[in-house]
Amino acid sequence: MPEVTVKNLAKTFGDNSVLRDVTFTIQDGEFFTLLGASGCGKSTTLNCIAGLEQPTEGSISVGGKPFVDAGAGVFLPPEERNLGMVFQSYALWPHMTIAKNLALPLNIRKVSKDKQKTLIHDALDKVGLADLSGRYPHQLSGGQQQRVALARALVYSPTVLLLDEPLSNLDAKLREQARAWLKRLQEELGITTVYVTHDQEEALALSDRIAVMEGGNMIQIGTPHEIYERPAAPAVAAFVGRCNFFTGRVIGQDGNRYRILLDCSADVVEVESDQHIPASDSVTVAIRPERLEVVPATAAASGVNRLKTQVITGSYVGSRYEYDVRLGNQVVQVLSGRGGLAGEVMLVFEPAEALIFEDRVELPEEQSDLLTIGT
Amino acid sequence: MSTMTEPPRTPADERVQEFKPPRYRRPLGIGRDTVVQYGVLAFLAVLVLAPIVPTLYQSIRNRPLYEAGGAFTLSGYTDLFTEAGFGEVALNTLLFASLTTLLSLAIAIPMAIVVVRTKLPGGRLVALAMQWPFFISSLILGFGWIIMYGPAGFVSVKVQQVFGGVPWNLYSIPGMALTEAVALAPIAYVFCANALRQSDASLESAAQVCGAGPLRILGQVVVPLLRPPIVYSAILVFSVSIETLSVPLLYGQPVNIDVFSTFLYHKGLQSVDPDYTMLGAASTVILVVTLSLVAVQAKLLKDAARFVSVRGKVTRPRRLDLGWLKWVSIVFIWFYVIVGALVPIAGLVMRSFTLVFTPLQSPFKTVTTKNYEIVFDSDNYVQSLWNSLIVAGVGSVVVSALAVFAVMVARRSTFRWGRAVEYLALIPQSLPGIIIGIGFFWAFALAPFGMGSVLQGTIYAVIIAFGMRALPSAFGSVAPAIMQIGGELDNAARVSGADWLMTFFRVLRALITPAFAGALVLTFVIMLKEYSPAVFLSSADNNILGTTMLSLWTQGRAGSVAALATLQIGITAVFVALAGLLMKGKHHA
Repeated sequence: MPEVTVKNLAKTFGDNSVLRDVTFTIQDGEFFTLLGASGCGKSTTLNCIAGLEQPTEGSISVGGKPFVDAGAGVFLPPEERNLGMVFQSYALWPHMTIAKNLALPLNIRKVSKDKQKTLIHDALDKVGLADLSGRYPHQLSGGQQQRVALARALVYSPTVLLLDEPLSNLDAKLREQARAWLKRLQEELGITTVYVTHDQEEALALSDRIAVMEGGNMIQIGTPHEIYERPAAPAVAAFVGRCNFFTGRVIGQDGNRYRILLDCSADVVEVESDQHIPASDSVTVAIRPERLEVVPATAAASGVNRLKTQVITGSYVGSRYEYDVRLGNQVVQVLSGRGGLAGEVMLVFEPAEALIFEDRVELPEEQSDLLTIGT
Repeated sequence: MSTMTEPPRTPADERVQEFKPPRYRRPLGIGRDTVVQYGVLAFLAVLVLAPIVPTLYQSIRNRPLYEAGGAFTLSGYTDLFTEAGFGEVALNTLLFASLTTLLSLAIAIPMAIVVVRTKLPGGRLVALAMQWPFFISSLILGFGWIIMYGPAGFVSVKVQQVFGGVPWNLYSIPGMALTEAVALAPIAYVFCANALRQSDASLESAAQVCGAGPLRILGQVVVPLLRPPIVYSAILVFSVSIETLSVPLLYGQPVNIDVFSTFLYHKGLQSVDPDYTMLGAASTVILVVTLSLVAVQAKLLKDAARFVSVRGKVTRPRRLDLGWLKWVSIVFIWFYVIVGALVPIAGLVMRSFTLVFTPLQSPFKTVTTKNYEIVFDSDNYVQSLWNSLIVAGVGSVVVSALAVFAVMVARRSTFRWGRAVEYLALIPQSLPGIIIGIGFFWAFALAPFGMGSVLQGTIYAVIIAFGMRALPSAFGSVAPAIMQIGGELDNAARVSGADWLMTFFRVLRALITPAFAGALVLTFVIMLKEYSPAVFLSSADNNILGTTMLSLWTQGRAGSVAALATLQIGITAVFVALAGLLMKGKHHA
């Protein structure tokens, strides 16, 4: 059973530690995504699994077979791991035809010529390119190259498929189609897949589970639903989807409902949380823009949390309206179906729609500058 | 996932077949990749240390290395600094190298600026003309200069006739420096021109928008940005002129001016009973000087590379208009090309076809092919021509292949000592050719199992020494070409099941071929021109063009020298032209 187990993986370059104590297990047949901004260590993790980089600490095994164990001095070179990998640049060998590209790994495995033929045909057929086997890579479009790269990674039935941002070189429209196609193919083959991307939408759409990484740490592993709805840390909430953050202080509690005094406007809001938070603690309240509603100040809207704000800008972004509203000295982003609001408005949300984080969110300085307004 | 829902059965599921992942044998845990990588490291280490270590050893032994016995001594060093006039030699060298550096920068910097950054008629032609030193060795240039501008040279005699005197003396340190500067200016030119091409043109546009005129832009924006390439090429020119043998030997011998390289030449070859201990000491001192220069250079290059390698978006530099000054520049540039290179070479060719070459008598009166007949009638001269071709032919293949492997290990593997391989491949750059010759001479004396006596005095010895000299250039030409090939191509092959060696042979070899061919052409030309390491390694059997020319020159047979030099230039030109045609043909295919 090709189950991928990664334990306490760490990688340092000189004094620079790019990966810290990363541990996770990927189930057989699972589509597992490493998600994070560039430099978060996701590609390093993938390269460690592939054997292209050697971790400083930790171990990796696939299906019980140890690939690398820094403590025990075990290191299986990439060529003996029997993995399939698709690279960001596709890495098709430019001087070989498509068929030759697919034949090389089979040649190395000493597969008979007849069998090679059927295998290559089947693999190309799977990606819908069987009639292009005589072409050279540069004669194909980007999307076709990407599919050939996938066929090359699959033709020798590897135990695990590794995908390093394979869609990032496609244009936006094609990327969406390729995404759906890739998902279908992976489900059909049932192959354990590790996917690396910085595109949160891609990660949410494709994955069975997502691991969010930041600064060399793995900060949350969960299903797309968990990642989006119950982010474990403000950083996850900020990276996956958009999120407004308010700092504040707990001033009261009623069951699982906390009353919080916001720093930016001195309003008091009620937020539900299952965590136990002592009174007068500093906290961060996080609300996604689409969970906020704006109503005209005069409307008699119902809602637990009703905050008086002013619209700074409103813009129509196609399917809905996007508002920047002023709450005290902070800019709040709202997505709403209601158009044409201006001036004084009421910001409404339910206690269950917001999240409380016990640590304060440190936004990058540039971003916090943009979100603060002098009063 | 399969536990949650039963996936539809597809053909893919029916033929689930596991191929065995490839296995590579590792006796004692050592794979063939490791063997090859350590092999390259060891080979380079032996090659580079072979001439250095015996030199250091000889400098502290009181008997020649090939003689039995001998004891530790420091007399080599004390003799060197007290008796041998080494102080004067060092002073001469310093003067010569500094003057050469100044002059070549004075030629190169203005030229690079006007060619790259101003509207100059025929600018492309100048850029092409600056490649002439590639075809012509400084030994041949020296012959050409003497034939034209020497005390009895064609031009000097003419000037004497017209003006009643010659205002220059070639056989002096300024004379040497001028010739050497003409030969080395293109190096500095290439560095400055490349830096100028890569610098951001919008900086100049910004100055222009602020109201600056062309001269102010050049003076306050362009030239200050050139400081790194200027400093770097200055050190390069300085270290090359410290080790050069040709011009100081040709000019200095008649008037007894010695620099480092000619000092070694005279002490080692022309004294009846050479004091090898002192020779070793002198070589060691010179090695220390050149190696420390290279250390400085490497450190600067690290910074300079950071400065220069601002690539990515190519902004086409806007060219400034200099007005009347551009005609001054054109005259200056073509004066350099014509008087510095074309006239001496033309004189050399003319000399090879005449018996007497002087303005006192029309050269066409004595037009002859006799000089060539002498060359082709003598087995020795024909042999040296063949030897040169064999050395360049065999050597270029071996050296280019070695360079490819060195680059692969240094830059395209996870080999732990990759940096060491790179340094070893580049060190010979800083070893003066004549010291490589002396060093191998001693190394053959020390070599175990009688290997030395097998090699000593043969053409293989010359191939080894010249090959080592050419290795840094080959490495430098192969490395960028290989680095242009995306690393993911290797990774894809590795993950697909090829080990490092198989990745090289199955995937990269075809992609590297153009880089290999480029290195081949480069090293062929370098090794055809090379001669200084051979002066200590030559015997009657392994003379090459350079050493033959040098001995003919000392015998006063300038006609034959001119004929051989013309042949060498001709062979180089034909070879480069053919290689160019072949490579072009390949690109179209």
